[in-house]
Amino acid sequence: MIDQLQVVILGATLGGVYALMAAGLTLIFGVMRIVNIAHAAFIVLAAYLSFWAFTLYHIDPIASIAIVMPILFGLGAAAYRLLFARIADSRRHSEMTVLLTFALALVIEGVTGFLFTGVFRTTTPDYASDSFELGPFYVPKGQLYATALSLVLLGALLGFLRLTRTGRAIRATMQNRAAAQLVGVNVRRISTLTFGIGTALAGASGALLSFLFPFFPAKHWQWIASLLALIVLGGMGSLLGTFVGAMLLSIASAVVNDRYGPTWSPATFFLALFVILLVRPHGLFGKKAEL
Amino acid sequence: MTLLEVDQVSAGYPGGPNILDGVSLAVERGQTCCVIGPNGAGKSTLLKTICGLLRPRTGAIVFRGEPISQLRPDQILGLGISFVPQDRSLFPDMTVLDNLKMGGYTLRDRKKLAERIAAVCAMFPVLEERRAQRARTLSGGQQQMLAMARALLLDPEVILLDEPSIGLAPQIVQQVFEAVARLRAAGKTIVMVEQNARKGLECADRGCVLDLGKTRLEGPAASLLADPQIEQLYLGKRRGPGPAGSAPGARAEPPA
Amino acid sequence: MTRRALVPAALVVALAAFPLLQLAVGGFNYWLHMLLIVFMYIAMASSWNLLGGYAGYISLGHSAFYGIGGYATGALMTFLGVSPLWSAPLAGVAGFAIGLPLGLIALRTRGPAFIISTIALLMLARLALDNTESLGGANGLSLPLPDLPAATQKVPFYYGMLAVAIAAVYTSYRIRHAKLGLGLRAIAGDEVKAEAAGIPTALYKIVAFALSAVFIAIAGGIWGDYNTYLKPSDLFQIRISAQIVLMAILGGRATVAGPVIGAIVLVAADELAVAKLGATELNLAAKGAVMILILLAFPDGIVGTLKARGRLPRILDWG
Repeated sequence: MIDQLQVVILGATLGGVYALMAAGLTLIFGVMRIVNIAHAAFIVLAAYLSFWAFTLYHIDPIASIAIVMPILFGLGAAAYRLLFARIADSRRHSEMTVLLTFALALVIEGVTGFLFTGVFRTTTPDYASDSFELGPFYVPKGQLYATALSLVLLGALLGFLRLTRTGRAIRATMQNRAAAQLVGVNVRRISTLTFGIGTALAGASGALLSFLFPFFPAKHWQWIASLLALIVLGGMGSLLGTFVGAMLLSIASAVVNDRYGPTWSPATFFLALFVILLVRPHGLFGKKAEL
Repeated sequence: MTLLEVDQVSAGYPGGPNILDGVSLAVERGQTCCVIGPNGAGKSTLLKTICGLLRPRTGAIVFRGEPISQLRPDQILGLGISFVPQDRSLFPDMTVLDNLKMGGYTLRDRKKLAERIAAVCAMFPVLEERRAQRARTLSGGQQQMLAMARALLLDPEVILLDEPSIGLAPQIVQQVFEAVARLRAAGKTIVMVEQNARKGLECADRGCVLDLGKTRLEGPAASLLADPQIEQLYLGKRRGPGPAGSAPGARAEPPA
Repeated sequence: MTRRALVPAALVVALAAFPLLQLAVGGFNYWLHMLLIVFMYIAMASSWNLLGGYAGYISLGHSAFYGIGGYATGALMTFLGVSPLWSAPLAGVAGFAIGLPLGLIALRTRGPAFIISTIALLMLARLALDNTESLGGANGLSLPLPDLPAATQKVPFYYGMLAVAIAAVYTSYRIRHAKLGLGLRAIAGDEVKAEAAGIPTALYKIVAFALSAVFIAIAGGIWGDYNTYLKPSDLFQIRISAQIVLMAILGGRATVAGPVIGAIVLVAADELAVAKLGATELNLAAKGAVMILILLAFPDGIVGTLKARGRLPRILDWG
């Protein structure tokens, strides 16, 4: 029993981070209908930025979020303006954006590799190898801090979306782009802003991941498939769905890892996806149709 | 005074052919103009072009003497032209109140926003009762009311209505046209596309027949109603003796 | 034979005769290698195009069939000693057989959810093979080369790939001009309307899915042996899928010549990039940047955009 709960704790303390990783992805899809295949590449780029901040300037990875988020926001907003803004109303939008984000992922991977070389990296703050003891259980400090911080950022995001005028405009654009235009929302500006926020969130998660997993330029391919599966499972465009899905899948994955070994645990995300698709094709919290 | 003018406009959807083929229309301040015609004639396209969702390929749209063809929808909204689309285009998961708030998105002044919301709710009391209800759960008629109220939030001078009675039960249709009448009485300038041509024209000052992207006929609504050709083509059979008599040609209203 | 068919036919004859040059004179191994890679991608892009181009269902998971084909012939080689060059057509059958159930699952979704489902299927296929110890698991499987002298070793593979390419393009051509092709393109235009018009959309989609697996699997079957090594992490890559998609779309989706042009252009561009920039990371970034530029400049693909502007040379207008 204790062993099983321990496994659940391990999974739960990673869930928040997965949710943060995927939040930007689902937001970008919800507002602009873009499947951002480069999302995980942004995450890895941010991880590298944190790594160098840590190695060269001894900046704690969690603190580096303050630097990484604005940089990634700028990169994302610029990428949207340069690549996606012009095709926003195109008939070929779906396939174009898939291929454009794929090509963007290659560019980011190439540049990252060139600037930082292909050596496996990881940041090593003290808490990364430490853990709390709660009775018979141990809770890895690094993971706990990472998830706690993820939840704070996600909470801030939710607050922004619910309580601010711009947040309302983003939600409106997500629900009905044409209607948003009709009431005077500058959907181009909102889209640029949202893409920037999405990549900024990816950046924050990258900073946190820097001390949780070793990373290298091509690592993003391993994550993007799982993240994409996660947002479909949760319901594309639904932040709540992403959060619930992330927690469930993270715990499930930890359990599978414990029972069947590490080669099968990545399969959890994909098998879960198909189970959900059979039962609820629009995901856990996805919406069926537009008004 | 001509408030809104459509001058030889051709327009279509991106990548597609011209749906409007040289359409001209002039609307005076305070007038209600009803556009009728068969399916695919370009009626919706006309409204979308006026409000900026589509750009005219040739010709110009002039509002208060200024050309507005190259402006964005949000800019045209700011000038005082509101659009209520055929599909109502509400925000399905937002409450009635939030939908109205979004209608006033361009208003930065919170007090003004609250005042305007109160004003449109007074006009559509059914919305006041359902303030906290999600738009998705409203009935068809209530959604139409919400869409109109939302469009009225900024107190626009011109309101474009795209088939306000579509998909609604006859009783509700009556309520919708009563609402349009209230807007008319408030001095709004209205351009309305209606499939229910008879009811639409009865509600209007002027009428315009659009067919295959061209204006076929334009004139006072009353004379269009009286025109036997129009009656045959677009108005459908009348049931029993109507207010204008049962024999064609025996009309009470004088010609334009 | 019609006039239009003359040029492609002449081309095929020339390509078929090319290896004789190698056999007679020698020194053309590099070209044999490059050409067979081009043929392989022509086959794969044309195959993918049946589903992605004609029906508009973008799959990023089709490299799964590449891997499945490779392992199919690899298994037959390892356990039964049959040379992949003979068993390659069976790889096609395996592709079709596996494509049917996979397609039925994936086609429950549309649009972006479909794209993601296909990625998920690819990942599951890879994990399944990672965990199949009898086929080498994650470490992979080694395959012997046919017993031929170095000068002639590439020749059988060259002909194999040429044959698949011709078969794929021909199939694409026939489908394009048949009821299935029209139906698929109607689905791409507006699926709801197509359904309302009486087109059996579910049937057509699953047929397209399964058929699109066939030539990719055969190509994989031949490649596995040519490469002498099968490894899940090499074969079941999103990148390979994306490459195929890019070729079809850059060339011109929903045309017959499009994937062919796309394959040639991208393989050539790849070689050029390696030659100029070396196999470095900047190479990768440059490839990505060029892809972006071409995608934005040719939204309908090279063949599609040329056709729209009325400038498509007749010899490329295969429909």
